[in-house]
Amino acid sequence: MDIETLALHGGYAPDPHTGSTAAPIHQTTAYAYATAAQLADVFGGRAPGYIYSRIGNPTFSAFEKRLAELEGGIGCLSCASGMAAIACVAMGLTRAGDHVVTTKGIFGGTVSFFAKTLARFAVRTTFVDAGKVEAFRAAIDPATRLIFVETITNPGMEVPDLPAIADVAHNARIPLVVDNTVTTPILVRPGRWGADIVVHSVSKFINGHGNSIGGAIVDTGNFDWSSGPFADIQALARRAGKLAFLAHLRMLIYRDLGCCPSPFNTFLHLLGIEGLPLRMAAHCQNAQALAEYLANHPRVTWVNYPGLTSNPYHELAGRLFGGRFGAVLTFGVGSAEAAARFVDRTVLAQNLANIGDSKTLVIHPASTIFQEFTPAERQAMGVPDDLIRVAVGVESVKDIIADFESALEKM
Amino acid sequence: MQIIVNGKAVEAADGITVAQLLVEQKVQTPEYVSVELNGEILDRQDFATTVVAAGDQIEFLYFMGGGAR
Repeated sequence: MDIETLALHGGYAPDPHTGSTAAPIHQTTAYAYATAAQLADVFGGRAPGYIYSRIGNPTFSAFEKRLAELEGGIGCLSCASGMAAIACVAMGLTRAGDHVVTTKGIFGGTVSFFAKTLARFAVRTTFVDAGKVEAFRAAIDPATRLIFVETITNPGMEVPDLPAIADVAHNARIPLVVDNTVTTPILVRPGRWGADIVVHSVSKFINGHGNSIGGAIVDTGNFDWSSGPFADIQALARRAGKLAFLAHLRMLIYRDLGCCPSPFNTFLHLLGIEGLPLRMAAHCQNAQALAEYLANHPRVTWVNYPGLTSNPYHELAGRLFGGRFGAVLTFGVGSAEAAARFVDRTVLAQNLANIGDSKTLVIHPASTIFQEFTPAERQAMGVPDDLIRVAVGVESVKDIIADFESALEKM
Repeated sequence: MQIIVNGKAVEAADGITVAQLLVEQKVQTPEYVSVELNGEILDRQDFATTVVAAGDQIEFLYFMGGGAR
């Protein structure tokens, strides 16, 4: 089935008992069984069933199946947030003394997680240039356990060469983890290009309405968990086969971290997925038009959007993402002060720390998301102080451009 | 022949494989089930070729317990 159909029908058929066409919100903590023996069987794995919503919940299952189908993966785990998904995957693959390779220009929260939080547990991270495949190869050492990239770095706006980096990872017998938040499976299924694990901040385009936090982990089925440097997952692979990594997370890391979502949020994400193909088409069309408008504006110093033919990633992004380029773009106006004045003067575009809402959003990352880093660190991360990030919404593009025109004039 | 499935005596056809037994016993969501044969975990790739013998003890165990269906 095509992805537009899977978005509406994937993972859930009308409930056999009630006929409910929307996946019900199972707002429950635990699940009752008639006898002590029945519950003991579920605990012991001798019978299927839900025990406790920290580990699993029927509403989560509907969402997990739908997202796994959209990504063409073999299974999914839904998480409380995108950061929870990244933390689960990284903690599931590393131990003290291990090493991670990721890139500059990625989401500030992810930078902090690798550089600060994971570092507290003696896991080192090397940040390489997203556009240089050789830099990934050079950064790998015997302790490296994963490569982590974003499909389009946010806010760096670089596009890593997924198939080439997958080859680098697989030559080192380690998985490539890809954050597909900004492109979603509508633009790219990273598994098709060799990615082994896909993570999402579901709060963004998948939810689509800026109403709930969520995250997800999808196993694409590409990685052979029965070999490689993960002894515990390897042992589990005899039981669980290709599902060994997801079983390892659900039965240990995910269960112990307690990073499950809420059933109500998950219901909203399921609803968000239904309109995702339509919204992404409109998002990308509007972003292209806005990028072209800004590129020709005299008060705009530079524009970074892979949809522009002058962009160094235009050809690669076009090939990986099927000729669409996402809805996040950045531009510069010469100084941090001018950037702040621009943000102050938009009316339609809302100034907030999010992307992927149906509404157009702007932010000045240097004074907000990246505030905790020094100007030199920000420059090294690909976040200059005059950068404005835009998450282009699905309003009338005429109204979006009029808002930007007015703010640039008054800047 | 008689075999023991999850602690209960069960009648099964001679020459039945583990994969066939999963179907015969109507095991739900078999993709989430691992199999122990006489106390040893059976590799998933061997389900279709492993033949069950009379008196064998078989345990079907859900490895994503707690709600992975």
